[in-house]
Amino acid sequence: MKRVVAILIGGLFVYAGIVKVIDPVEFARDIDNYKMLNWSTSVWLSLYLPWLEILCGLALITRVLYRGSVFMVTGLMSLFIVASIVAKARGLDVSCGCFGHASTYLSFSWHLALDFLLLGGLLFLWKRPLPATS
Amino acid sequence: MALALLPAVVEAVYLRDKIPWNARVAESDLVDVATARGWGANVTWIDARPADEFERDHIPGAVSLNEDSWSEGLARFLGNEWLPEKKIVVYCSAASCNLAEDVARRLRKEAKLPNEIRILKGGWEAWQAKK
Repeated sequence: MKRVVAILIGGLFVYAGIVKVIDPVEFARDIDNYKMLNWSTSVWLSLYLPWLEILCGLALITRVLYRGSVFMVTGLMSLFIVASIVAKARGLDVSCGCFGHASTYLSFSWHLALDFLLLGGLLFLWKRPLPATS
Repeated sequence: MALALLPAVVEAVYLRDKIPWNARVAESDLVDVATARGWGANVTWIDARPADEFERDHIPGAVSLNEDSWSEGLARFLGNEWLPEKKIVVYCSAASCNLAEDVARRLRKEAKLPNEIRILKGGWEAWQAKK
């Protein structure tokens, strides 16, 4: 069960990262829409975060640097959920851009439900980590 | 964390000319109210705000085209109002809104319009201030 959850979440993060690597400017706009950071920071994050997602996703799948990746991805998810709720509370109509155009038409409630589901999966992995392969 | 830095830096170098490093919208994509007004009849105004805000008030002659009803709005615009020789100026409510930018980008990328497409600096607020 743990292995399946790790592969599913890892695969999802690899996919989410690839979608954003293809169009970093679009992702920079998505970050900028939260109106929490200046444009230059959004651009640099749009270049860095997708690769972090891909590497963490691969680590979850392959179990290399597994614990660090679970920690990292849990942190990213938590941060993203807080940012989404704060943006909503400020009246900002933000598309998270998590999965490129595929996520554009999801409502805020669906986004949040999906995020909490992922966070739940990560906490499950966090509490009961897989043993290292080596 | 450090491992992700390397591909990010490589991508940054590779895309250095395609990324707007200093501002979300390039200055060349913007136009101020006075300049756009100076274009007179040679401009098509596009109102990217929600339909109810457009109904309340808008720039004279403007066409409503927003992302809430993009497909129908675009078909109506292309069928009835679009002229290839005119400049297009898109606006939304204020400098802080992104709707005009999104609509302008979709007109370029998806509709592939050959027109010169600009975003009104300051949006509807700036227009009203200089009325």
